[in-house]
Amino acid sequence: MAESSESGAVVRVQNVTKEYELGGTVTALDDVTLELPESSYTAVMGPSGSGKSTLLNLIGALDTPTSGNVTVDSRNISTLSESERAQLRGTQLGFIFQTFNLMTRLTALENATLPLVFAEWDRTQRQTRAQDLLEGVGLGDRIHHLPRELSGGQRQRVAIARALATDPTLILADEPTGNVDTETGNEIMELLAETNKRGNTILLVTHERRIAERADRIIHMTDGTITRVEETEATA
Amino acid sequence: MKLRDGLRMATRSLTGHRLRSALTVVGIVIGIATVIIFASFGTSVQTDVVSEFESTSASEIFVVTGDVGIGDDGGFFAGSLDSFALPAVTTYDIDQLRNIDGVESVLPRGSVDITAVSYSGQTLVLDSLTATTPAAFTEEDIVSGSAFKSGVSGEVVLSESAVERFDANVTVGDTITVNREDGSETVTVVGIATQARGGFGSFGDFSPTVYVPTDPYYQESGPTATSANQGVDQPAYRQVTLVAQPDEVSDTRKRVETYLNESSDATQVLGDVGITVQSTADLVDGIESVLTDIIRLVTGIGVLALFVGAFGIANIMLVSVTERTKEIGIMKANGARNREVMLLFLTEAVLLGLAGAVVGVPLGLAVGFGASLYAEVGFTVPYIWIAIASAMGLVTGIISGLYPAWRAARVDPIDALRYE
Repeated sequence: MAESSESGAVVRVQNVTKEYELGGTVTALDDVTLELPESSYTAVMGPSGSGKSTLLNLIGALDTPTSGNVTVDSRNISTLSESERAQLRGTQLGFIFQTFNLMTRLTALENATLPLVFAEWDRTQRQTRAQDLLEGVGLGDRIHHLPRELSGGQRQRVAIARALATDPTLILADEPTGNVDTETGNEIMELLAETNKRGNTILLVTHERRIAERADRIIHMTDGTITRVEETEATA
Repeated sequence: MKLRDGLRMATRSLTGHRLRSALTVVGIVIGIATVIIFASFGTSVQTDVVSEFESTSASEIFVVTGDVGIGDDGGFFAGSLDSFALPAVTTYDIDQLRNIDGVESVLPRGSVDITAVSYSGQTLVLDSLTATTPAAFTEEDIVSGSAFKSGVSGEVVLSESAVERFDANVTVGDTITVNREDGSETVTVVGIATQARGGFGSFGDFSPTVYVPTDPYYQESGPTATSANQGVDQPAYRQVTLVAQPDEVSDTRKRVETYLNESSDATQVLGDVGITVQSTADLVDGIESVLTDIIRLVTGIGVLALFVGAFGIANIMLVSVTERTKEIGIMKANGARNREVMLLFLTEAVLLGLAGAVVGVPLGLAVGFGASLYAEVGFTVPYIWIAIASAMGLVTGIISGLYPAWRAARVDPIDALRYE
């Protein structure tokens, strides 16, 4: 597992400030600088309102900074058009959410193929790919089930398969175990660890120490700034 | 996103809300079906009426003394000819008309007063004989026997409707008695015909008619007028029909008009009253244009119904955008571009509109066909309106889907993903 500052960074966050106008200016991120090296596994911890979700949205190319630069896969998201950012999300990024965010009317297989639909993959190719991934997360026998026919843990596995569909450079996981029981949570974290071992860079946002400790390092945030960067035992 | 995938996803969304989609489509179906019903029934009636005219009186030019008209003011011949037309077209005029370029034949028509006709002991009250020339009967008009000969007394042709009035079966060669105020005459039925050309309205002669040759019947007992050109009194007609060469109807009509208005006996007799000259084409054009206006008007009502359907689509699509905010967020997080989201929603709206057309057009045709059967007119498929209605389904979908689709495309993915 190569984790060194010499290897290329997948994400560079340089002096990023993000402000919102909510009946007055709210500074969600204040001069944040951060790098995610290739194949690294980083957790962001902090209380609510600390700016961790804002950071995730910026790195996820869902939002643009007020000042500073966010570079994902060597591309500055501030200079990309809306359409280019969508393409970046579809091909280089994989999202895993606390609430799973699956399409309710689509089957597990169809959900897992979603990014491939927008990346214009051929139908048979994308089905083969999604089926392989669903088998990989242990859902080989549930591929034609709708989300409502699956348990919370199974839904999150579908979401993981979907996030991996385009073999993205970076996986963004926002409280991935927040809506499942502890045991299922552990299984989900195992899957993420395996994914990381296969070379995908992971950025995990959580408020649970136990979950964050699975990462190589933990970035602690408070009030829109990084207060501490902690190397975990997983690194050793 | 590939077009086929977009269609598949849009279809999936629509079938996910079957009842809602079906009800929305019903709105469009009603609109499109209404357009097609009115258009097909209207076009059928129009075609039927126009072809009736054209088949019975192609290339005919009607000359009527007095000022009546069809077409220009939309009026129609009303009442009995005797009540407004004066006997003014003299036999001299008829000879002149016959010599005008493009005129194939001249069919004067007049009535000879009688009181009744009787056959085999049955008396049929009839106030006049219809005097015309043998040329008024075409081969198709004659059911049996032949036309009478001009200048021969004692020969008549009966209309089919007259034959039907007699209980006993009248056949060619039978004799019937014509009663006048001053006596009676026994005549021989030489032919039976459906109609004679040169009648007013030209829908065939529905009332029982007994045809006799103008020579001698009308010339002996009909009204007369002074021929200014020849300085003597001559038998004169209220109505004359000219048969023109088919490719020269319009020019011939102009020449006839010029003669009648400038140098005929008739214009001298009539003075300010004037003469009406119209060709079948004028009549057909007039009727066609009136019917076209009516079709447009009623079809317009159908278009209004379609508008209501369009609002239905817009409404349901707006609801759909709100309901599926989260879905939009998910799609955007997974690489959907704004214009792909927009196209997806637009496709749904267009599919609703097209579904309305696919169901509405056959439904409208079926009801239009039923109405035509009921009204006993031949059914004409209104191809142009089918095209228009289908296009309207498509356009309705696009227009009513544009704003909701634009709203969908503008959904902020961050808000959308948080949306519960």
